[in-house]
Parts: sequence; structure tokens; C-alpha cells
Amino acid sequence: MAIKRLFIANRGEIALRIVRAAQALNIETVVAVSDADRDSAAARLADRSVVLGPAQAAKSYLDPRLVVHAAKASGCDGLHPGYGFLSERAILPTLCAQQGIAFVGPAPDVIDSLGDKIQARAMARAAGVPLVPGCDGVATAADARREGDRIGYPVLLKAAAGGGGRGMVIANNGDEAEAGFHRASAEAVAAFGDGTLFMERFVPEARHVEVQLMGDGKGGVVHLGERDCSVQRRYQKLIEEAPCVAMPDHLRKQLHASACALAASVNYRNAGTCEFLFDVKRQEFYFIEVNARIQVEHPVSEMISGFDLVQEQLRIAGGAPLSVTQDQVRLSGHAIECRINAEDTARDFMPSPGRITRWAPPAGEGIRLDSHMSEGAMIPPYYDSMIGKLIVHAPTRDAAIDKLDAALADFRVEGIATTIGLHREIIAHPDFRANRIHTRWLEQVLLADRKGAAA
Amino acid sequence: MTHKTNVDQPVDHVRLLMEEFTRSGIATLHLRAGNFELLLSNDPAAPSLSGAPRTGQPPAPAPMPIPQAVVAAAPAAPASSHAAPAAASNGIPDGAIVISAPNLGTFYRAPKPGAAAYVETGGKVGADDEICLIEVMKLFTAVKAGQAGTIVAVLADDGAMVEAGQPLFALVAD
Repeated sequence: MAIKRLFIANRGEIALRIVRAAQALNIETVVAVSDADRDSAAARLADRSVVLGPAQAAKSYLDPRLVVHAAKASGCDGLHPGYGFLSERAILPTLCAQQGIAFVGPAPDVIDSLGDKIQARAMARAAGVPLVPGCDGVATAADARREGDRIGYPVLLKAAAGGGGRGMVIANNGDEAEAGFHRASAEAVAAFGDGTLFMERFVPEARHVEVQLMGDGKGGVVHLGERDCSVQRRYQKLIEEAPCVAMPDHLRKQLHASACALAASVNYRNAGTCEFLFDVKRQEFYFIEVNARIQVEHPVSEMISGFDLVQEQLRIAGGAPLSVTQDQVRLSGHAIECRINAEDTARDFMPSPGRITRWAPPAGEGIRLDSHMSEGAMIPPYYDSMIGKLIVHAPTRDAAIDKLDAALADFRVEGIATTIGLHREIIAHPDFRANRIHTRWLEQVLLADRKGAAA
Repeated sequence: MTHKTNVDQPVDHVRLLMEEFTRSGIATLHLRAGNFELLLSNDPAAPSLSGAPRTGQPPAPAPMPIPQAVVAAAPAAPASSHAAPAAASNGIPDGAIVISAPNLGTFYRAPKPGAAAYVETGGKVGADDEICLIEVMKLFTAVKAGQAGTIVAVLADDGAMVEAGQPLFALVAD
């Protein structure tokens, strides 16, 4: 049954984005807020807001019982979790089902199995999705050489028993694999009491590529192309673009087919993303994980497809079939998104909460801003520092970069520090223009050069 | 902010802040750290503390010498509620303290259906007395009075959903 009144269990720009999508579908909206977000843009735009608890997320946005109780008590028949917070916790759809509330997301068992790394890899393997070549039971130095030769160098050796960086060794050839085995195994024995190692191919310069999916929960899945999210700092994405122009068409087709096969194999319902590592040198891609929610960077896929992903999420959660077939999906042009954070890049990206004294964003054709900010708005210190996403769309990647540069130059924010200046530096860099970037490029090249210049 | 003065007690911190505030000529200083909140203001129309009731109208000027200091510190217990001086409006008597909901939930005045209410208007309570329940998906949390006194008004309906910070009772302290 179509959702009539939607509970929005999130904050910031995505809460506002969901309110707007619901309003476009004539769905009433109730926004959950913490005490710190009483006056948020989403709360003001929604039909109603309810205060869950104090500012600390653990006592408001992160309490699933509190959230579902509020949804039920405010008469909602649907709940959208947004991203982050409780969006990938199976308890939320479980509680929603008990209360007769439609959860805008996958079934609880699908969330659980995709959220478990080992189960997700097994499901990917069963669906024929390529995984990073590796071996889990390396017990001797001779094993290490034999498996290294088979997998292809460089390889990463790490303790099978433990996580983190302890006992991790990179080997570039057979001799290094044997020597590395002795070192890593000794460390693994010392740390975990078990010297068995795990080995996998190491990709020094990889791109992060992901496929946007939409599933109906009955095996029907469409994709809306891929995104390239290789500009990262400490595994946090800063810039995302679509399509991934570094990937040739034949590989792109395989990438899309892999992602759709995995989603179809679990009867995936909702918007979702299948993430891959793209080894540009070898021209191969490997499965990383599935994100079972709408993602921060969903607008770049919307810009190249003209398709509203959040509205589709709401329709599907209300029981509607997919509104498009794969043949009807038309991708055109190039889109780039910058995440604008309230952070001081000169002070190691220290968060910069406070009041915005001036907010003058760019506007124009092919320019989109997803933000909950305005002049006089307060950025509370309790949550993440993202204050908006600037997205541009143009016929080609070069034209999109030019448009983004002009838009960033026009973007005036005062009162707090932002990452706008850093984004201008990134897109002005010859490596970005020539698309010679990888997931560690920002830290190893641009930020390293910056530090060198400051010293 | 750093001070050379040696301050050990929270009350000394507040006194020091008040002195600095008076000297600085700043109109309003609002400080919040954990459960502690402090508002110093020369402006009678200054916004109330977050723990104080929101009446939809500017709070009445307090009959206190300027600068005025209002300190709201919620007890550390999980079932604690915010308590703050009430404005003289919404039927809340002068000098009464408002006891607010610590989180969203269903407000119950009695320990179980059909039982007598924990407290009626005019009833005396001790600081540790339970005065109502807040239920979140069958999980019941008791709210304590926080201060000894007399309940002078019940501000929410039994069985209704209350939001975090919503006034539940008005209490005149002993």
C-alpha cells in the first residue's frame, strides 16, 4: 500500500532531500529531530517534527526503539532511515514490521547478510561477481611463494586470525613472499597465537567504482550506471563522478551485470550500491561490499539519468513495481559532486562548527546544491561536518570540471571554515584533469605537496 | 579561554565567568557542556535555556539584579529530567520548576493501568520519588521529581506522546 505519512529518521541535507521527495509524491512528512536540530531546515519544511531526545545521537537518532515508537505514535505508515545512523541496522526494519510500518529499505535478513563481510563475499562468489584473488590458509613459506606466484605480485600477507594493520606485509616477488611469511607469521603468533596467514593481491593504485542499483524485492533490478569515487581522504569520499570514464565499455558492461546479478540473487529491495575496486593496470575489478541504503553521492547518478532515486525508494517501499525497465534508463553527459564539509583543511581537517554568517551558493543550469544550510544557520558540534553537496552536470567530463570550477569560485560561505578551497585545488590539478587519480592520490600527492609547501 | 586564576569548584567557575562577563560588556553569553548549561544575559528578552519551557512568548523579565544567571544542571541518573525555573505563564505559578520529559515516549501517570496516579496536583514529593513513566516500545522508564516540593500542575495528558523537553509537571520546591 502506498505510504501516506512518512517518518524521516535522519537529519541534515538528506532529511531535507527526503521531505522534498515525499512532498512531490503527496506524502505527509514527520521529521525526527534531536534537541539540537529543533530548528533544522527539514523540521521547518515538514508537516511536523518530533523531538526524540537530547543532542547526543545515542539518545536520539541512534535509538531504534525510540525512533520506531515516535513513528508509530505520530501516525506514520512508512519510515525512511536516510544514510548513516540506523540505516543499515536490521533491528530498524524488524521493529517497523512489528508496528505495521513500511521500511524504506531492504528486508532485515538481507541487511544482515550483506552487512557481514564473509557472508557478503560468499554471496558475491555465488552470483559470479569477481573477488580480489586470494588464499586464506597460508601455513608455510613454501605455500606463500606458491600462492604468490599464482595470485600475481604484489601481494598482501596478513594474519588470518586478527584484523587491523598488525603483521601486514607487502611482497613484490617470490623471495619477498617467503621472507614476508616468516616475519608476518611470527608477528601473528605473537599477537594472536596463530601463525596462519591470509594472502590477497595488493592493488597499489586502485580506483573506487560503484554501481547504483534499484531493486523491487522480487528479483527485479535495474542499474543507473556507475560512479567513480577515487578522490578520498582516510577512506572518506570527497568527490564523486559519473560515469567512470577511466573504464572501457566492455568492462563497464561486466561491472553492471555483476552488480545486478548479486542484487537479484538476494531479491534486493530499495536503492543500493555495489562497490568495487578497479585495478586500472590489470583492467580488472573486484567486489568490495554492498551498501544497502541511499548513498550520499546518489545525486551524480540522478543527474546523468534524470531519475529521482529517493522518490523511487518511496514508491517501491509502498509496494509499487520498478517504474523503469533497464532499456528505459538513458544515461547522458557527465556529473561531478563535491562534498562541502565544515572543516579547516589547514588544521588537519579539524571540524569547524558554528554559525554561518554568509551563505551565497552558486546557481545556474546544470548546477545542483543539496544542502540544509542558510544564512544564520547553526552547525552543531555533535554530528558529521558535511554542510552540503555541490553537483554539476555537463555534456563531457572536461565541461563538467569547468562548470564546477566556476561554481566553486562563486560559492561564498563565511563564519566557518569549509573545504571549498580544497575542492578548487583538487579539480585544478593536472592529475585530476587528466584523470590519473586513485584512492590514495589525494593523500599521497596533493595533500603531501601542500604539506611540503607549508614546511 | 584560559585563566591564570586557580579555580577548583564549579561555583568558582561560574563566579569567574560572571565577573568576566560584566567586565566584557558582551550582551549575552550562552555556554553548554554536557548536562551543564549556563546563560548570562543583560537582555531581558534573551532566549530561555533549552531545558526551560518554551512558551511561545518572550519570558517575563526576572526580578533579579543584572547580570542574571540561570543555571540548569540535570542530574546524572538516566531517568533524570530537566528542571528549570518556569516563566510565569501557561498556568505555571511564579517560582515553580518545570519537570520535562527526558526523551520522547508515551507519558503514563500511574505505574500500571487502573492504578492510582503516582502524584496528583497538590501532592508532596521527595527528590527521589517517581512521579510518572515514559514508555518507549514497552520499555518503561520512571521519571523522578529531582527536587522535594509540591506538584502544582500536571502539564501533559495521561497516555499521550510527549516529546523530549516537553513540560510534564510544575513543582514548587520546599
